[in-house]
Amino acid sequence: MSVLNPTEKNHHGFMLLFIGTDWHRGLSPEEMQKVSEQWMAWFKRLTEQGKAVAGHPLEHDGKTVSGKNAHVTDGPFAEAKEAIGGYFLLDVATMDEAVAIARQCPGLPYGAKVEVRAVRAACPLAPENKIEEALGGAK
Amino acid sequence: MNAMEMSNQGYLLLLHANEWWKGLGREELEKHIAQNHAWLEGLMASGKITAGQALARSGAMVSGKNGRNITDGPFAEAKEVIAGYLLLNVRTLEEAVAVAKTCPCLAFGGKVEVRPLTNECLSTKRLEELKREEELAAA
Repeated sequence: MSVLNPTEKNHHGFMLLFIGTDWHRGLSPEEMQKVSEQWMAWFKRLTEQGKAVAGHPLEHDGKTVSGKNAHVTDGPFAEAKEAIGGYFLLDVATMDEAVAIARQCPGLPYGAKVEVRAVRAACPLAPENKIEEALGGAK
Repeated sequence: MNAMEMSNQGYLLLLHANEWWKGLGREELEKHIAQNHAWLEGLMASGKITAGQALARSGAMVSGKNGRNITDGPFAEAKEVIAGYLLLNVRTLEEAVAVAKTCPCLAFGGKVEVRPLTNECLSTKRLEELKREEELAAA
């Protein structure tokens, strides 16, 4: 499961971030049940195909840490419409495949959005090409 | 811990970063990259990380019925994007926040969102809420 090793370079992988935590508010209980089952079946299928290597819904509560003094505040700072409700880690080779999977998200008809991001090698805080660019500029 | 086990004992750290490397000279940049690596290696050695990776700045946003709207990244409010993630297998929010507080990104205006993993979809949770409300109303 190379996609999960933070130190390994040159791997492929994508992260799906499910955006929006209020899209299900207008649904009837039956509809909600249906979407929920579809979502779970979707994840199960992707896992069986070896395309999903991890995934979880996220509790809406949590903390945000920021600033030089590591100030801690309650909750994610985004509004419900933009907050992240869950994620999948995909082990697929191309952005096209990742987007094709994102398009199957059962929350889409109700207003959920899916952010598709390519996972990169070791540096956890900045894409390496940007650092090289910056280094090149500093020479 | 294997993230696929869908254990709800875990936390996701989402590293929000601006382009902190801009405006730094070569030496400073090298120093901070080394700090980031040391931070990550320390966490790995402590066994607190299940997975973690940087995310490429490019990506896609999928929305609408059948995922008909696909826009390219970088995203609209790209001043601050999710630059990376860490999956932690610590047991309490306090421990997860303690890890977040050590992120070198904080010194550069970065933010760390700390989110508990769950096994319960948001829609399932909302459904339970609705059922309870109905029961209360009927009582």
